Amino acid sequence: MENREKILVGFRDHIARHGHPPASVFAFCEPLGVSERDFYTEFGSIESLESAFWEDLFTKTLAAVQSGAEWEGFGARQRMLAFLYAFLEKSLDVRTVLLFRFRNLSPLSTPEWLRGMERRFKEWAAELVSAGSSSGEIAERGRLAGLYPTAMYLLLRLVIDFHVKDTSARYERSDAFVEKSVNLAFDLLRTQAIDSAFDLLRFLVPRGRHQT
Amino acid sequence: MSGQTSIRSSRLGRMAAFAGTGARVGINYLKHYGQRSIGSAPDENSLHERNAEAVYKTFSELKGGPLKLAQMLSIDQNLLPAAYAGQFAKAQYSAPPLSYPLVARTFRREMGKAPLEIFDSFSEAAAHGASIGQVHKATKDGRTYAVKVQYPGVAESLRSDLRIVKPVALQIIGFRERDVEGYFREVESRLLEETDYILELQRSMELSRASAHLEGVTFPRYFPEFSCRRILTMDWVDGLTLDRFAKSAASREERDRVGQALWDFYDFQIHTLRLFHADPHPGNFLVRDGGVVVLDFGCTKKIEPEFYRRHFRFLDERLLEDRAALEEALVDLEIVLPDDPEKFRSRLREFCTASISILARPFRDGHFDFSDPAFMRSIYDLGEQNRRDESLRSLRGQRGSPDSIYVNRAYFGLYSLLSVIGARVKTRLPEWMRD
Repeated sequence: MENREKILVGFRDHIARHGHPPASVFAFCEPLGVSERDFYTEFGSIESLESAFWEDLFTKTLAAVQSGAEWEGFGARQRMLAFLYAFLEKSLDVRTVLLFRFRNLSPLSTPEWLRGMERRFKEWAAELVSAGSSSGEIAERGRLAGLYPTAMYLLLRLVIDFHVKDTSARYERSDAFVEKSVNLAFDLLRTQAIDSAFDLLRFLVPRGRHQT
Repeated sequence: MSGQTSIRSSRLGRMAAFAGTGARVGINYLKHYGQRSIGSAPDENSLHERNAEAVYKTFSELKGGPLKLAQMLSIDQNLLPAAYAGQFAKAQYSAPPLSYPLVARTFRREMGKAPLEIFDSFSEAAAHGASIGQVHKATKDGRTYAVKVQYPGVAESLRSDLRIVKPVALQIIGFRERDVEGYFREVESRLLEETDYILELQRSMELSRASAHLEGVTFPRYFPEFSCRRILTMDWVDGLTLDRFAKSAASREERDRVGQALWDFYDFQIHTLRLFHADPHPGNFLVRDGGVVVLDFGCTKKIEPEFYRRHFRFLDERLLEDRAALEEALVDLEIVLPDDPEKFRSRLREFCTASISILARPFRDGHFDFSDPAFMRSIYDLGEQNRRDESLRSLRGQRGSPDSIYVNRAYFGLYSLLSVIGARVKTRLPEWMRD
């Protein structure tokens, strides 16, 4: 466990210093004073190390907001807002790494090194959706609801993307972006807007030769 | 559903909103003239009302600059048809709230602590809006607080908001841009001051200390230890806002007392302190135990001695009888410019004589009955007449000092508050004018 923490911190410093992940496990371990064997006990590769790094950021952020006094009283929308604000706050500790890794990354891409965070976030979002639909905050709509966690993950990536490009004082514009985009997302989830959009799309997309 | 906001963030988004208003205003005009050509003639007022509705809808979607400007325009009723003013006045009460997580976030970032780490209780929903922020109710050790939290990013977007709202405002009022440049700069600097809660805290404490001796006027206590640039904490005050008080069954005597307190408060600030609360909006005053509680010193204005001398000369009605002295005073105040042709000069003299005699009327007899609707009517009529007067509108150059905006706004605001309440007040000329 001690090694794990040491390797994660070492990884953060490496990216912050060099702007890219280490070229090899050996080159990474040597200056850290960790043996290759110790490294491989914790992580299978540099990619899985980085994946763990971002997953870690997610889990720690979530644990921090969940321990807040107000969390229990929050609905799905407020929980998402609270999480994203906490994520922005937490990411200030690793802003250099965030800048290097996300500045030129499309919010739609799904690189290997983000898989861990993606999976954990979507698991959490799925819980949020099911709690939200039983409380009526999110409209029930069968199989389409399976896409909600993916949509929320996209929202997280858009927030990160906005944040790394934000130059406003104390990143106040990022806060405003979170507020607005979460409100839009949940307003859409609450109403039938998405169904109507799908319905229109289905109508417009040609359905085969027999129609013409 | 929980609170939500829609401050539009991007410039483009805001532009889009204003383009939308332009279109709606245009469509309303089309409808209006269409209707007229068919024969059913709607009156001008209904058109103004629909346009005001459209403009107001846009203003209320855009917090910060435009909302404040809307409020301001509603006070300067001499500049606007009554229908616009009525719509704009609503702005104060209809700002949608921020989510609690964002409020908590602002607390953590600005104060380093969550609301509940500072207070024993803190309302998740806003108690009411405050145009560039919102007010939460909190308690600690048995004391109840009003905590004002500013919308994030407001200070940043104010400047560009104003740039965007300017052409719309100019179009509504019907002035040319370069002629009102100085006015807009003045408005902009007051608005930017309003985003600085530290300055507001200082001014609030300063003005409430200096005015503490006035009868019938009280102030909430302010708490620097729970305040910072985005958060301002004061005592929670229960009471009726002035417009609710006006509609209540209050007796004449109660109305007179509240009106007198307001009059004395403004009189003292403008003529003695020369630093005044420049936002005489009904939402900024509460009536409690027969007296007035003054809230929100976000917008304050200092009067320089030189401007004071030039401006308040006009309180002296003898000036109106002396043509040369009037002319000189108007040149002095830059209302008449040196190369104005005589036909403009005489028109300006006429207009200024009319407005001075109306505006100075409350001072004339040492007491005044603001419940007389004819008085406010004559102010509106004068404004409307001024607005439609082609020769006045074709005047080039900036007229009058930008410093006069807020002084006029304070007096117009005060007069309209007093007439809404229907108060009779004892008025006195400032000391230097009594003889």
